[in-house]
Amino acid sequence: MSKEIEVARDVLQDNTQNAVANRQRFGREGVYVVNLMSGPGAGKTTLLERTAEALGKRVRMAVITGDIATTRDADRIGRHGVPALQINTGGACHIEAHQIARAADDLKSEKLDLLIIENVGNLVCPAEFDLGEHDKVMMLSCTEGHDKPGKYPLMFQESRALILNKMDLQPHTNFDVEAALADARAINPGIEVIKMSAWKGEGLQTWFDWLLARMAASKRG
Amino acid sequence: MHETSVAQRMVDTAIEVADQHGGGQVVGMRLLLGEMTCVEPETLSFAFGVVSRGTRVEKCQLEIVRVPTRLRCRTCGVERGGDLLEPCVCGMPGGEVLAGRELRLLTIDIDEEAALAAGKQP
Repeated sequence: MSKEIEVARDVLQDNTQNAVANRQRFGREGVYVVNLMSGPGAGKTTLLERTAEALGKRVRMAVITGDIATTRDADRIGRHGVPALQINTGGACHIEAHQIARAADDLKSEKLDLLIIENVGNLVCPAEFDLGEHDKVMMLSCTEGHDKPGKYPLMFQESRALILNKMDLQPHTNFDVEAALADARAINPGIEVIKMSAWKGEGLQTWFDWLLARMAASKRG
Repeated sequence: MHETSVAQRMVDTAIEVADQHGGGQVVGMRLLLGEMTCVEPETLSFAFGVVSRGTRVEKCQLEIVRVPTRLRCRTCGVERGGDLLEPCVCGMPGGEVLAGRELRLLTIDIDEEAALAAGKQP
């Protein structure tokens, strides 16, 4: 004979609880935290290098970067004078909230104004794992194709802003900016759009201004 | 693959809950899985089989109950199924997600006789 027992528990409950604790902690410490997500190769690390160069001396910032293996991203960002901590997920396709708590301890997040999490390059899994960030930001590059927001809606739905990167390459591709934005806005009507070429330096000022404005807004509460 | 970390949590939770009820083999489990989640049922079943091996959950029959997506239009308030890009009757796509994000363990079945016979197994 078997006996049925009610469990009624979200499977990712532990991650959600850790994320709630992170969010309270970051609020208390007054550090604005943004979770930057994209597929692999969209240009997250290049953008964070440019961001470290431009803002590293003006605000107290640090970066947590997640990859399955290597410390290459943290090494690249660290060269620009900003503390960068690598999380190796060891095969996992996303970062989890408890890893952020540990990394924030190591980075002494209470002494920071801005903490950027560079999530593992993946269009699917990071959407399921709340990290306790203030904002999620999605990056999509022209070389990936304009159908991605429609095909991977969850991450676009949860993001406050969408960065369209590699705009310098757009004339050489069949990437339809309006089609990509129409899908993204259908999924998430309020999503803010920033077009840029992180490599060429175009559109970066809009991103810096957006970050600083969100940082100020989060401090106001 | 995050199906593996999801499956690991399911096994850990089942053992924890079974222990609170006298231990024993976990022979059944029902999981609510929303269609909008980024968890693929076949991959999850496979991962569950792998991570439960050698535990008290290894004989568990996993029943995955799919939950269809339910959306409420942000413009006219009408509820509908389907996906976010399929427009509402009013013509607007998107909407507030009412259902479809579930990843929830509903129940487990434990084998009482095995629990009584064996006592608490490691």
